[in-house]
Amino acid sequence: MKHTTQLPDRRPLRDRTGAATAAAPSPARTTARRRPSSQQWAAWGFLAPVTLYLALFYAYPLYRNIDLSLRNYTVRSFVQGDAPFTGLRNYLTVFDDPTFAPALLHTVVFTVVSLVFQYAIGLALAVFFTQHFRLSATLRALFLVPWLLPLIVSASTWSWMLNSDSGIVNAALHAVGIGPVNWLTSPDWSLTSVILANIWIGVPFNLVVLHSGLQSIPAGLYEAAALDGANAWQRFWRITFPLLRPVSAITLLLGLVYTLKVFDIIWIMTKGGPADSSTTFATWSYQLGFGNLLPAFGPGAAVGNLLVVAALVFGLVYMRVQRKQGLS
Amino acid sequence: MNRSAGRRLTVAALTVIAVTAGATACSSGEGGGSSKAADSGTYTIWDPYPQFDKGSAWAKLLDDCGTKAGVKVKRTAFDTSDLTNKALLAAQQDNSADVLIVDNPVVSTLAEAGVLTTTEDNKLDTSAVDPNLLAAGQAGGKTYGTPIGANTLALYYNKAVLKKAGVDIASVKDWKTLTAALEKVDKAGEKGITFSAIGTEEGSFQFLPWLWGSGAQLTELDSTEAVSALSLWNDWLKKGYAPNSVINNTQTTSWQEFASGDYAFAENGTWQLANAEKAGFDYGVIPIPGAEGGNAAAPTGGEFVTIPVQGATDRYTTSQKLVSCLASGQNLLDTDTTLSYVAPTGEVQDKQVAADAKLKPWVDAVKAAKGRTSDDLGTKYPKISEQLWKAVQSALSGSKSPKDALTAAQSAVK
Amino acid sequence: MTGVVVTRHNRHSRTWWKTAIGLVLTAIMLFPVYWMLNVSFTRDQDMRKSPPGLFPTDATLEGYRAVVDQQLPYLGTSLVIGLGTVVLTVALAAPAGYALAKLRPRGGGLLSFVLLAAQMIPGIIMAMGFYAIYLSLGLLQSVPGLIVADSTLAVPFAVLIFTAFMSGIPGELLQAAKTDGAGAVRTFWSIVMPMSRNAVVTVSLFAFLWSWSDFIFASTLASGGAHQPITLGIYQYIGNNNQEWNAIMATAVVASLPAAVILVLAQRYVAAGVTAGAVKD
Repeated sequence: MKHTTQLPDRRPLRDRTGAATAAAPSPARTTARRRPSSQQWAAWGFLAPVTLYLALFYAYPLYRNIDLSLRNYTVRSFVQGDAPFTGLRNYLTVFDDPTFAPALLHTVVFTVVSLVFQYAIGLALAVFFTQHFRLSATLRALFLVPWLLPLIVSASTWSWMLNSDSGIVNAALHAVGIGPVNWLTSPDWSLTSVILANIWIGVPFNLVVLHSGLQSIPAGLYEAAALDGANAWQRFWRITFPLLRPVSAITLLLGLVYTLKVFDIIWIMTKGGPADSSTTFATWSYQLGFGNLLPAFGPGAAVGNLLVVAALVFGLVYMRVQRKQGLS
Repeated sequence: MNRSAGRRLTVAALTVIAVTAGATACSSGEGGGSSKAADSGTYTIWDPYPQFDKGSAWAKLLDDCGTKAGVKVKRTAFDTSDLTNKALLAAQQDNSADVLIVDNPVVSTLAEAGVLTTTEDNKLDTSAVDPNLLAAGQAGGKTYGTPIGANTLALYYNKAVLKKAGVDIASVKDWKTLTAALEKVDKAGEKGITFSAIGTEEGSFQFLPWLWGSGAQLTELDSTEAVSALSLWNDWLKKGYAPNSVINNTQTTSWQEFASGDYAFAENGTWQLANAEKAGFDYGVIPIPGAEGGNAAAPTGGEFVTIPVQGATDRYTTSQKLVSCLASGQNLLDTDTTLSYVAPTGEVQDKQVAADAKLKPWVDAVKAAKGRTSDDLGTKYPKISEQLWKAVQSALSGSKSPKDALTAAQSAVK
Repeated sequence: MTGVVVTRHNRHSRTWWKTAIGLVLTAIMLFPVYWMLNVSFTRDQDMRKSPPGLFPTDATLEGYRAVVDQQLPYLGTSLVIGLGTVVLTVALAAPAGYALAKLRPRGGGLLSFVLLAAQMIPGIIMAMGFYAIYLSLGLLQSVPGLIVADSTLAVPFAVLIFTAFMSGIPGELLQAAKTDGAGAVRTFWSIVMPMSRNAVVTVSLFAFLWSWSDFIFASTLASGGAHQPITLGIYQYIGNNNQEWNAIMATAVVASLPAAVILVLAQRYVAAGVTAGAVKD
């Protein structure tokens, strides 16, 4: 039923883009009318497994998180399942909390700075590694090694290296005559430290995805540009960068989603402290829900849902941009 | 364009609702049924000791107790920080373990949630247990389990470092003399004291002996006594007697600092005894002094054995046998030796001291210790504790003065 | 004759500095990994030495002894779970990516949107959800259960990546296949998939990495079971009050070594394959 109602407004677009319009009138018309519908069936045939999968495995946790945020859950009502519905009260509690403003600021700073550096470094490395030199493939593979480590280990290693008294970073600074920095224990530095570690963790992801993207750009284009006398810089800005745009967009979007969600690194390194100086929404949500002997599930879930909403907004922006590009 | 987007969103919302409705229908249908009825001969035990694997003495002890009670025991070990959530979730799904071993301050939370049975229901005998230890598992006049062992905090000291600085440990009697000793150590070019002031329950746990030692109460965080306790730590940091890293130290990290042999003192727990023997230098232990002398009360650590609520109440009889087997007599002695804990009953404590004289100061410390959730604080404690560690962190990192930090904490608790 | 030698020498000297830069960058990147290695060999009493030792001078193998005694069997489990996750992820995501990129399904945008939202659900909430579901279904501590759970880390990412890469495949190619009478499935299998090799590799790589290093799902869904992934081995060294850091780090080293070898080998094979493909085109 859906398919029949959709036909009329769908067809003009196909006629404009598809090659079918030029063909003989009567048979072309019937195929044109039938094809979108059969294509729809095929498309959804391909999508069916993933849709089912989403419904099975994501719907319940998502529903749960929304439900948690809309009821007044105490530990007792969590177990007995009789929490009263309180609408948006948990959200209001969260908005009123003195932690809200700093957490928002830290989330924005953490996300933006991490993203910019991860992407820039990742892209620079990807371009570097597309050149053929000895060991390039092996070294590129080695860049992924940090991803083999569970976050609990890599984050602990970072906090080890950044320890005020026995950390290697301060020892190195001392060697060049700079006084110790309280990386994790000073409110002025803690956010910087966790951003640093997060960039380190994010670079390999950007490198690999962007590198794959670069591989898909036909080499012929570069040769033609080189023949036209374009230098390396010009080739990068005129060929690489524009052609990499779809992959860049998805990398940044995914990076954004992952960065908003980062909590392990911050939690292990600073617990969001000292004095909330490195608290983001993700750590705050965890702190409320699980970081305490007496969990506050409701507000914790509410903060988590704010993050979901933030990601959705950016997703919407992404899709708008993509659609515009697709039409033009 | 806009209209179609709008329509899509509506469809989306409807899909989500339909799907979630389906999911809830499913889950409630499945959650209702108890999957346990089928295997009534198997009893599940959850503990927070992932460090003990299948071949360990602890695992064998559980099996033996099962055999004695005529049932099969299925043990699952969780990380402590995970266990509370797991226990709550399992209870929500009506699938609790038969025997649950949890950290003592969690007992009141689980009791509040209605997850645990009282000793009236499960007929557990707790008469032999030291009352100050049992108090952590009591709320509203009811007892929710029995301690399997206890530990607490004291000051370890490095004899070589103190000798070099010319400090006689007998002179350390109160805060003033302790600070004077630290000053001497510092002047001798050695490091003073290390502890854990991390922004978690561990941080509060470590601060409590000083808070209580000042005469302050958990119910009044902004009292002058409490401020004096926080100022003590704060001054140590400012003067360099304690390293800046304490703000982020777990108790393990703090111990590693002490184990480097550079520090004169470390505030740490009973469980480090075995490691102290391995450290390779002479050490001693003194109780944490109170502000004006005497010994400060330290908080009790250690786990409680509890029996969660079951749909099939006839299971309690066997569960009670399992718990009694674990928490009494020779087994209790064995367990507490493995865990490096002090036993919760006077009788077993005597045996422990007879076997190892080094345990004497710890047994005394445990006798003087106090449960965090005692004084009927119960589930108020977690909220107070969170504000307390936040205040400690704010003060030590320099973002607030001790007084402001504690005032803010007190108003946040209310 | 001499000319050949000179050019070869030239080419060699032209790239050696790139190799050098590459080595330096890799060294910087892997320094924390080295530090982990260093700690894994360090004795307890030297762990917080100030200043820290750059090399484990009084190296101890205590950590490794513990790990080799207790953990090695779990490596196999991790491998099975990792490969299972890769297969499941690609099987689910590649067709979906193709449909979203090329077949313009109605509601496709919405689906991508839901995929994005799905990724935002905090891991711990996902894990709690799975825990509740598996508890009822009796799937706790099972390998297939863990594969399915781990795949949720990768599937939304994989669909979006496949969509992004597959939308780069020229439409004329697919049109030509259609004119030749190939159905959607045939087109997908013999044209789209071979052309999406890069995407498949990228997705497989991350699916494998994520499931290999996953900790939250493993600890929630598999702890205490007979088949545990290697990351859970870490828990044996995290006591209630005490953590044995050299053993923890040793576990991480032992856990990452075989996977690192797989990575490097795979990368070589892939690099060769990609260049070969490029030449053919």
